[in-house]
Amino acid sequence: MVTGGPLKPGSNSNASNASDGAAPVLAAGIRNFTFHEGRAPALRDVAVSFPPGSFTAILGASGSGKSTLGRLLAGWLPPGGHGTLAGFLELSGTRLEFDGGPGDPRTNPAEWGRQVGFVPQDPATVLSTVRATVAEELAFGLENAGVERGDMMAAVDGTARLLGLHHKLGQDPAQLSGGQLRRLAIGCAIIAGPPVLVMDEPFASLDAAGIEELAALVRDLLKRGTAVVILSQTVDPLLREAGTWAVLSEGTVTASGPPAAMQSGVLPPAVRRVDRHEPATSAEPLPPQPIKQPVGSPVLELRGVSFAYPEGPVRGRRKRRSGRAGELSRRSLVLQDVDLAIHPGEIVAVTGPNGAGKSTLLRHLNGLLRPVSGSVAVHGADIAGAPAGRTAASVGLLFQQPRDQLFERTVLREVRFGLDRLVGPALAENRAAAALQAVGLAAAAEEHPAELSSSAQRLLALATVLARRPAVLALDEPTVALDGDGLALLDAAVRSAAAEGAAVVLVTHDLGYARSAAHRIVSLDGGRLVPA
Amino acid sequence: MTASPAGSAPAQATRPRLSPLTWLAAAGSTAVITTAAASWPLSAAVVAACLGLSLAGGTARRVLPASAAVLVPLGLSLLVLHGLFFPEGRTVLAAWGPARITAEGLDFTGQRILLLAAVVMVLLLFSFTVSLPDLVAALSARGVQGRFAFVLASTLTLLPAIAERARRIREAQEARGLVVSRGLLSRAAAFRLQAVPLVLSLIEDAGTRAAALEARGLSSPGPRTSYREVPDSGVQRTARVVLVLAALAAVVLRLVQAGAGC
Repeated sequence: MVTGGPLKPGSNSNASNASDGAAPVLAAGIRNFTFHEGRAPALRDVAVSFPPGSFTAILGASGSGKSTLGRLLAGWLPPGGHGTLAGFLELSGTRLEFDGGPGDPRTNPAEWGRQVGFVPQDPATVLSTVRATVAEELAFGLENAGVERGDMMAAVDGTARLLGLHHKLGQDPAQLSGGQLRRLAIGCAIIAGPPVLVMDEPFASLDAAGIEELAALVRDLLKRGTAVVILSQTVDPLLREAGTWAVLSEGTVTASGPPAAMQSGVLPPAVRRVDRHEPATSAEPLPPQPIKQPVGSPVLELRGVSFAYPEGPVRGRRKRRSGRAGELSRRSLVLQDVDLAIHPGEIVAVTGPNGAGKSTLLRHLNGLLRPVSGSVAVHGADIAGAPAGRTAASVGLLFQQPRDQLFERTVLREVRFGLDRLVGPALAENRAAAALQAVGLAAAAEEHPAELSSSAQRLLALATVLARRPAVLALDEPTVALDGDGLALLDAAVRSAAAEGAAVVLVTHDLGYARSAAHRIVSLDGGRLVPA
Repeated sequence: MTASPAGSAPAQATRPRLSPLTWLAAAGSTAVITTAAASWPLSAAVVAACLGLSLAGGTARRVLPASAAVLVPLGLSLLVLHGLFFPEGRTVLAAWGPARITAEGLDFTGQRILLLAAVVMVLLLFSFTVSLPDLVAALSARGVQGRFAFVLASTLTLLPAIAERARRIREAQEARGLVVSRGLLSRAAAFRLQAVPLVLSLIEDAGTRAAALEARGLSSPGPRTSYREVPDSGVQRTARVVLVLAALAAVVLRLVQAGAGC
């Protein structure tokens, strides 16, 4: 059951879950929650309760307070630690009242964690970093709880099978792809069988197969009586099966009820609906503009590119993903004889399952990785001898994790990094302002990049690429973490760059977006590039 | 991505492994005995053995530069301190005012550097050779607190993790036009640009990771189990006891000798 403003009864809708009536396993009544450094409350007047076996979707745009709510519910944000809570948290029948004073009760994160599994938005933060294999990472929580080894083996095996990770058990977690990492994070959260599972943006970076598996997993958990809570800025088809939707906006619940009662206009425009067989944009997607038969030479050309990561030096240690070719074995080839030519103004989408090597391919375009055989040419010139920093003048790369790309103190400094050297200070200022305008961040120029919402971080990373006006735009999973507004901005920016003559390569598992945005779709599977 | 053995069993090394505790006992007692004995033939033998083992184990490329990074500055400072100003020095080879190079001073410095080299190389060889996951598992299985085992493991995973993060930031900067050539100066200049974002991102990362670790029961009291099976045997257990006893005996002997000499 979710209500908005329970402390002002009757002020909001009050909806029931299918399993309403049972005592909730987890509940919260938040009058307000304010971060120590924050001026306004991050959450106010939010009341949620989750009976066993209930399925709840908490929907809201990026920055609406979803992640804060999720972390509070999961015990990752103990009241008093980073902020003050006025209200209550209730777990398995025990209610803890908080008023923000020194007499507040203290929660035990470990005990809370046994009852509430949590999958954060960035799955990499779940990793212990001291476990050498996926199997040991899965077992970490069980080890700390003193579970017998035999039971642990069975639990690890069962969880891995459930998540399609059973063939990755011996692998170093640091080497997993983005989608595989999310599956591992989900596995770590559910392996001990907590009665509640809270997942923050679980659909991000999962391929179609991964989302199907996630849906099957959620249905299975519900059947076993687990209460499942999904925080999301996209309405995936799975969420239509939820008993309750709660819409979160600016830190408070603006509407809640069963999905059927919520179809008409209660969702903010920034929450996008995704149909896995339709384009993913919330605005009516335009079909890609017809491209003229390519004339002249391609701006980017890959010829017979093969690549493998060097073997790690010592077992159990992180392997460096360096471009220096080490001793290679044929079977570890990530890319095999890849040929690709892209002309100015052309948008090409590269799709493929999680872990297919899509990000690896993109890193070859500006020389961050070097092929072990074959060549990459930009404007007809082989980039083999050129430092990546020089090729970057022609090839702009948007990384998969925006946090990998943001390192400056303010949004404006971030966009201007390296721009002065490229075009001179006067032009740099204009370019930076225009790029921030294009992604809707002009008003946030003086903010710290780390404090932006994940969608805004992604857009900022995009602005840093756009400001350089490269001849080739290489975008790694650009739609991940974007809400509906962000996706519309991305779409407009990509189309406008292509219209101005940039060649765009976008790597995505979001087939809907690929179909709506690209002139041509190619698929990377088993290291080879084939027409999709 | 590297291929990994299929199947549900985690990839354990196929060849028989030494217990990390045996490694620890061997490295620790070697360091203690070498220090206590303070004899240059023993120090030289230990250095030679470390060289041989690191070459055989394929870790020489990491052990040697790391040893050099520690030993060169330390060695130079010892040389200045004892080589030039050794009060007991009698055989003067050269002199500039108060500074005198004496044969005794050089001899003493050489022995000290050799001893230092032996200890540093033994410990570095250990840290580059031991399987860290095995060590953490072995310590946890012996009732070492999860937090302590984690901190120990982190001190060894920290450097690779920081290097990895610095690499990602450098790549992001290169993707935006930072030209890093192979020259040392260029790399140093690039690192200056990476230092602030590196520290900030590590702090931010540590905050979220701490919450995750707490939720997964890192600080839970009570017994822990280990998923990883750590190889061990009766012979190894005996060897460890012998090694520790030998180290203790060396220290006692040294103290007795020092007492007798007074």
